[in-house]
Amino acid sequence: MLKCREVVDEADQFLSDDLPRHRQWRFRFHLLICKHCSRYVHQFQALKDATSFMHRKASDEEISRIMDSIDD
Amino acid sequence: MTDKDQLPALKAGNKTQFSILVRDHHHALVALAIPIVGFSEAEEVVQIAWIKAYKAIASFEGKSKIRTWLSRIVINEAKMQLRARKKETLFSDLAGDGSDSDALADRFTQTGHWATPPATWHYDSPEALLMSDDLAQCLDRILTAMPNNQRAILEMRDSSELPFGEICNNLSISASNARVLLHRARAHLFKLVDHYQETGEC
Ligand SMILES: [Zn+2]
Repeated sequence: MLKCREVVDEADQFLSDDLPRHRQWRFRFHLLICKHCSRYVHQFQALKDATSFMHRKASDEEISRIMDSIDD
Repeated sequence: MTDKDQLPALKAGNKTQFSILVRDHHHALVALAIPIVGFSEAEEVVQIAWIKAYKAIASFEGKSKIRTWLSRIVINEAKMQLRARKKETLFSDLAGDGSDSDALADRFTQTGHWATPPATWHYDSPEALLMSDDLAQCLDRILTAMPNNQRAILEMRDSSELPFGEICNNLSISASNARVLLHRARAHLFKLVDHYQETGEC
C-alpha cells in the first residue's frame, strides 16, 4: 500500500504523467480510498495552475519606462 | 485575453498591445532574472530583454506561450550578463547542501499517514487562488526567503512553463536534483496557501 507521505512526494510526477504504469495504478487506487490525499492532489494541481498568476501586474510607471526604452 | 488573440497586433508592432504584454509579464520576468543575476541587475536585464523581444516578436511563431518565449529571451540575456562579468556558473548557491527540509514533513505521522490533513480550499479559479492582497504579501515574503535554486526552478517551471529538460540544461543540474528542488519549493507554497485558507492569515 502506498503511504500518504509517498502520495505527496509523487504527486508532481503523477500529474505530469511521469510515473511508471504500476506506480500510477497504486497512486490512483490510493486516491480512491483516501479523501485527504485526493483533496491534496486536487489542490496541488490548482496551486500549480495558479503559480503563473502569482506575479502582480506592472504599474503604469514601470510600463512607461519599458515602452520609452523601446522607442529609443 | 489569450495569447492567440494578442498575437496578430503584436506581430504588426502595435505598441499598445505590447504595453499590455509588459503589464502582464514584467514582474514574472524580473522574478525569473533575480535568482540568475541578482536583485540589483535583474531590472536592467529584463529591460534589455524587452527591447529585444519587441524587435523579435514579428518572428514569434506562437508555438509556446508568450510568457515562455519571453522567459527564454530573459534567460539568454541574463547568461550574457554573467559571461560579461566573467562568472562561470549561473547560480553561486545552486549546489545547495540539501539541509532545507520538506515544508510538509511535519504534517505526517511516523507511519506516513496525515497527522494534519490539508484544509479544504475555497477559490473560484486558479487566478483567484493567489489573488488576495494579504496572500500576495505573504507570497512575496516566502519567495524572497526561498533558497535561490528552489526559487529559480519554481519560476522557470510553474511561472515561465519551460520544459523540464530545458530547465535542467539551464541550471546544469540532474533531473532528479531538479525534481527535489521543485518539490520543496512547491511544498513551501502549498503550506502557505493551506495555512492561509484555514486561518485567513499567514
Ligand atoms: Zn492518503
